[in-house]
Amino acid sequence: MQPLCKAADVPDDEPLRVELPDGHAVAVYRWEGAFYCTDDLCSHGEASLAEGYVEDGEIVCPFHMGSFCIRSGEPRAAPCSVPIAAYKVTVQGEELLIDRM
Amino acid sequence: MATQASETDQAPGRWARKYPELGQEPLPVTPYIDPDYYQKEKDRIFKKQWLYVALEREVPEIGSYKVRRLDCADTSVIIMRGKDGKVRAFHNACSHRGNTVVTEDGQETYGRNRAGVVTCRFHGWVYDALGELVSVPQEERFYSCFDKADNGLAEVHCDIWAGFIFVNVDPGPVQPLKEFLGGYADHFGGFDYGACDHGFTYHTTLDCNWKVASDAFAEAYHVDTIHAGSFPNVFEGAIEDVQLFGPHRTCSVRLQVDNLPQTPIGDLANARSRGSLAAVGGATTLPPTLNPKRDEDWGFELSVLFPSLLLHVSEGIWFTHQFWPIAHDKTLWEGKYYLKKPRTYSELWGFERSMVLQRNAWLEDTATMEDTYRAMLSGAKKYQHLQDEEILIRHNCKVVDEMVGA
Repeated sequence: MQPLCKAADVPDDEPLRVELPDGHAVAVYRWEGAFYCTDDLCSHGEASLAEGYVEDGEIVCPFHMGSFCIRSGEPRAAPCSVPIAAYKVTVQGEELLIDRM
Repeated sequence: MATQASETDQAPGRWARKYPELGQEPLPVTPYIDPDYYQKEKDRIFKKQWLYVALEREVPEIGSYKVRRLDCADTSVIIMRGKDGKVRAFHNACSHRGNTVVTEDGQETYGRNRAGVVTCRFHGWVYDALGELVSVPQEERFYSCFDKADNGLAEVHCDIWAGFIFVNVDPGPVQPLKEFLGGYADHFGGFDYGACDHGFTYHTTLDCNWKVASDAFAEAYHVDTIHAGSFPNVFEGAIEDVQLFGPHRTCSVRLQVDNLPQTPIGDLANARSRGSLAAVGGATTLPPTLNPKRDEDWGFELSVLFPSLLLHVSEGIWFTHQFWPIAHDKTLWEGKYYLKKPRTYSELWGFERSMVLQRNAWLEDTATMEDTYRAMLSGAKKYQHLQDEEILIRHNCKVVDEMVGA
């Protein structure tokens, strides 16, 4: 597991983009009291998903309004068809950790 | 009772004496009814001059945008706030096959995308708020001669004055906005337009030339007759403080202070809110340029920001009429009225009453326009006769004619 960000950094109503030490960017979501994390880059266009909108547990891409499940990374709306990676988030005190294994 | 009367020229013909270059002769009807004249107005005015298209607060956040349709310039423009906080404007036309990038749902369309982009719904081309083309689905299928870097949105000149966003669609270099506004900006720039954060708007499309509509609001001569119902004995039929600023113009409209109608409801409303023009207003929100002598009978400033925006300022109130030509015989009129958000229910009630009064007055105004135009089309009258207190209309005819003839 590796550090992600502080829980307090994640806004209620919009995702947070976090660049990990190796340069890989992820989007962190706060939804219905829990935290979720996926890759930030959309598998369809070149959008940052952290600039999108969370609706009903899905992240809606700001470029073409396709979407992914924030729990599993599975595509949920066209034109997205290729899954993105989703990471399990662990809350440790005020910190959020993810497992990228 | 105009308190400035003793100091200024009040004799008939005073404005012609002040502005002799405008002449006194009857003015031809042809510019109102001739389609060729309108085509020249489009080419030489609406596609060449700065046009007010949005308030800065209509695009408040990064990624906020407004699309304004401009039939008078054969386009529509996207006005968008970028990640750098700056507002830019672009033709709403996709570089691919020319679809509108933002799908419009009328004359004014609003939206926001947190990523600061707009996406064409036809094939998904994505542009950022700098106008750059940032994503083309299946880009690899385009030929080698296609380069995203060369295919951004077509930018139009955009600048802001006092919270008003202007565009100029002339593809060449243009006169800077500040220079275009000239003394008009100094006269009106000191009012806090943003403080009036509450309001209402009406619009309709009228079968008349845009100048018929604009002229109808640019004098107070009609108030005694047309507004006998909504504003009986409220305003003077003469205007004061006429000033011309290049193509722009202004004047003040005066109250008949001793004759203001007193009704139980009106008195209650005016005592609780500053929402209506039909009451003595004071001058707590006015810059020194407006009602400089703080005359009690000063009602509001009536101005024309060329070509087709009428801006009015009163104590705690400002409002606009905008006349958007759609064709030589069709005009979109938009009336927008702004005041401070009410803090109490009695203020809210006072404002609602003001709104109804103003709506009635605007209905009375707009009701003449199609009649005027049908009569003009009859050809029975080749000229219109303007009196001295209709000097703002005469100025507009002259300015338009000079630009069209240029």
